[in-house]
Amino acid sequence: MSFLSDIKDYPWTSLLAGILPARIAARLPERFQAPSSQIVPPASVAGRALTVVIAIMTFLACLTAGGVYMVHQSASAWVDDIASEITIELNPLNTTDVEKKMTLVALFLAKQPGVTRVKPMSADDSAKLLEPWLGSTAALSALPVPRLIAVEIDRSNPPDMKVIENALNQNFEGVTLDDHRRWQSEIKTITRSTALGGIVVLGLVAAATIAVIISATRSAMATNRGIIEVLHFVGANDRFISSEFERHFLGLGVRAGLVGALAAAVTFLLLPFLLHLLGGGAVTEAETRRLLGTGELDIWGYLLLVVIVVVVAALCTITSRLGVFRVLKSYA
Amino acid sequence: MIRFDNVGLRYGSGPEILRDVTFHVHPGSFHFLTGPSGAGKTSLLRLLFMSLRPSRGLIFVFGENLADLPPAGRAALRRRIGIVFQDFRLLDHLTTWENVALPLRVMGQTESDYADDVTDLLHWVGLGNRIHAYPETLSGGEKQRAAIARAVIGRPELLLADEPTGNVDPAIGNRLLRLFVELNRLGTSVIIATHDYALMDQLEAPRLMLHEGQLQVGAPQMGAR
Ligand SMILES: Nc1ncnc2c1ncn2[C@@H]1O[C@H](COP(=O)(O)OP(=O)(O)OP(=O)(O)O)[C@@H](O)[C@H]1O
Ligand SMILES: [Mg+2]
Repeated sequence: MSFLSDIKDYPWTSLLAGILPARIAARLPERFQAPSSQIVPPASVAGRALTVVIAIMTFLACLTAGGVYMVHQSASAWVDDIASEITIELNPLNTTDVEKKMTLVALFLAKQPGVTRVKPMSADDSAKLLEPWLGSTAALSALPVPRLIAVEIDRSNPPDMKVIENALNQNFEGVTLDDHRRWQSEIKTITRSTALGGIVVLGLVAAATIAVIISATRSAMATNRGIIEVLHFVGANDRFISSEFERHFLGLGVRAGLVGALAAAVTFLLLPFLLHLLGGGAVTEAETRRLLGTGELDIWGYLLLVVIVVVVAALCTITSRLGVFRVLKSYA
Repeated sequence: MIRFDNVGLRYGSGPEILRDVTFHVHPGSFHFLTGPSGAGKTSLLRLLFMSLRPSRGLIFVFGENLADLPPAGRAALRRRIGIVFQDFRLLDHLTTWENVALPLRVMGQTESDYADDVTDLLHWVGLGNRIHAYPETLSGGEKQRAAIARAVIGRPELLLADEPTGNVDPAIGNRLLRLFVELNRLGTSVIIATHDYALMDQLEAPRLMLHEGQLQVGAPQMGAR
């Protein structure tokens, strides 16, 4: 594993000098300076354009990964929520005293095994649920809006839905049970397709990054052909030469990666406000919130961005190393 | 140490620059390589440090057949050879000191271990006040001395020098020649390509003479012309 030994040999204290722009790096205390001037001039490898491209790639990768993570988090929280609940719907038609029927059904449910809590919802609650779609209108109270009873179930000892449903149907008329299973599977489908899309995007970003680094490696080597020749003449092997190029690509990866990830982090920090600004009507905002949760990335999400920076830096380093070896082979 | 067997060289489809060159050089010897301009001195040296492949014939260096040396072996072999290029080949963005230290750095030595050696050698070749200068700001002779210092810093077993005194005055030329002789006394084989007869007359050493593609080994002579 020569890559590992390279990591061990890498002058870590001088890493900072490799990451920062040369002008700032020159002002660091001596301990952090690179031991001697770079044999391959940094500017001939990682120009500003290349740095910008890699930063953008990192930014896109971070947005994608963070977005997928967010969807996954809020979806699993949501699935958890609705999996521990079932809803009983009471059709108010053909019923003279809805309130009384609600109480009866609620009492019946509370007696069933595996049910931990029964919460009948008032007509107002029902109206509130419909509000985003119908608006708050007094006319709503006149409509035969279905009444709902939320039933919390014991997930460690779930009741047999079929038995409850049959018992309900036998004892009451116009009562339906919704165990949310359809919702759960739909949410899972959404999560899964978001994840799949995210992986595809990440793959494309990685491929583009690799392609950019390969071509940058080639042109850096062409620019520094004379230096490579002299290095060969004084007895440098391929590993030495590749490490001279590689260190610049590592610096590029870390520098551009941090910029991209930082931009993505700021985007995620501002996301709740953005959602609010762009949210428009209450419905869209509610929907977006459903999908993205509060729009805030938790600590693990931010850690994911750090992981992406590491991956980008590693990708730059390894790709350039393989590229250098390939070109050197073609010189021989 | 070095053996040429019927070596022929042509660039592309051009004329043969070297024809049936056969000679050998013993370890610890000192040779001049001479001949008129364009005779192929530089080309012969390039064959020796593997920057060219011969069109015909076999070349052995340190007992290794250069034709079947893998890249890793080539690097290892070059570390045992010090080269002074006719056109110096210093790296413009490195200081004189860094240029001279390059072979040691390439060998993976720690800077603190060789720092003093490099500085001492630079003083010895008269570049003590140009240590931190960049090649661009050096005169031709100063560049030449820096190139020589780079070639000898690693104590090579074989030193190849292409016109190493072409740009310096006789006094410095003699001083450099003494450096080569000193190195030779310590065990380094030396081949100096030059057409500077005054320089060759300073030393009793065999002359490899190139003429019209052929190489003749002349007896050591001194003061003769
Ligand atoms: N890369 C090349 N391509 C084609 N021809 C070349 C090349 N290099 C040298 N030659 C030719 O080979 C011949 C020998 O050149 P070389 O440089 O070896 O001579 P030299 O003895 O070192 O001359 P000088 O004393 O002027 O340095 C010359 O005729 C030159 O034109
Ligand atoms: Mg020449």
